[in-house]
Amino acid sequence: MEETDLTETSTIQKLENMLLVAVPRDLTDSEVLRLRRQVLQEIRRYRSRWVLLDFSRVDICDSFFGRFIQSTARMAGLMGARVVVSGLQDAVIETMVELGMTLPNIHAVLDLDDALALSRSGQWGDESVYAVGTIDAEALDWQDLPDAALPGAAEV
Amino acid sequence: MEERRFPISNIVDVVRARRSGLEMALKMGFHQAEANKVAVVISELGRNIEQYAGSGTITVLAHDKYIEIIAEDEGPGIPDVERVLAGGYTTSRGMGLGISGSRRLMDEFEIRSVVGKGTRIRAVKRLC
Repeated sequence: MEETDLTETSTIQKLENMLLVAVPRDLTDSEVLRLRRQVLQEIRRYRSRWVLLDFSRVDICDSFFGRFIQSTARMAGLMGARVVVSGLQDAVIETMVELGMTLPNIHAVLDLDDALALSRSGQWGDESVYAVGTIDAEALDWQDLPDAALPGAAEV
Repeated sequence: MEERRFPISNIVDVVRARRSGLEMALKMGFHQAEANKVAVVISELGRNIEQYAGSGTITVLAHDKYIEIIAEDEGPGIPDVERVLAGGYTTSRGMGLGISGSRRLMDEFEIRSVVGKGTRIRAVKRLC
């Protein structure tokens, strides 16, 4: 399997005060970690206040991906940027919720238009509309994400 | 009946197996959301093999009315299966949701595990 080039312009782009991240499908764990580091670098570079993780290309989202979203949001938050998730496919949403994976403190929007409206307004939207639910953080053990991509994890 | 066997020893193997499982389920006529669940269960079970046993296999069988996933390894086994099935059981690499969540996504879910010998998990999703 070829490595996904995460530096290609189509993956991470800047739009106004928002960083657009088109999350590729079929990422391995080490690629997910690389993507997260790249996102943090780009937040710093562009001084982005918002990060849009666009999942419209992703058709399989397991619990590791959930940890990725959550940890990215926490890290971006420490840099003053807010993470918004968009483009989750219906099938992916159904599976995430039934798996028991929902995302606390993560705002989700339907598409780029809604994300832009949110970033331009400079504030969170109505939580009852945008929030998708709450993850049981303990059950997911979020803090463990980095370990999975350290030595011992699959080399790609 | 179509059968595909995937040796699992790293995450790339897991990514391949779940993609292939998704395609099999769609070909059988599963709705996208149901096929997605099959793929995620393959992913979670594959991760467990890679993390805890190091290597093993996942076999996906397409029957007339259902799809069957069998995950087998000769790893350390699960000391407390009930606790893992109940969810919230995490180790240092955090597996709580993998097994308990997978069980919720499937119609049948069985674990046979012997400490020191290995684990065999069988999961079934029915076409409806």
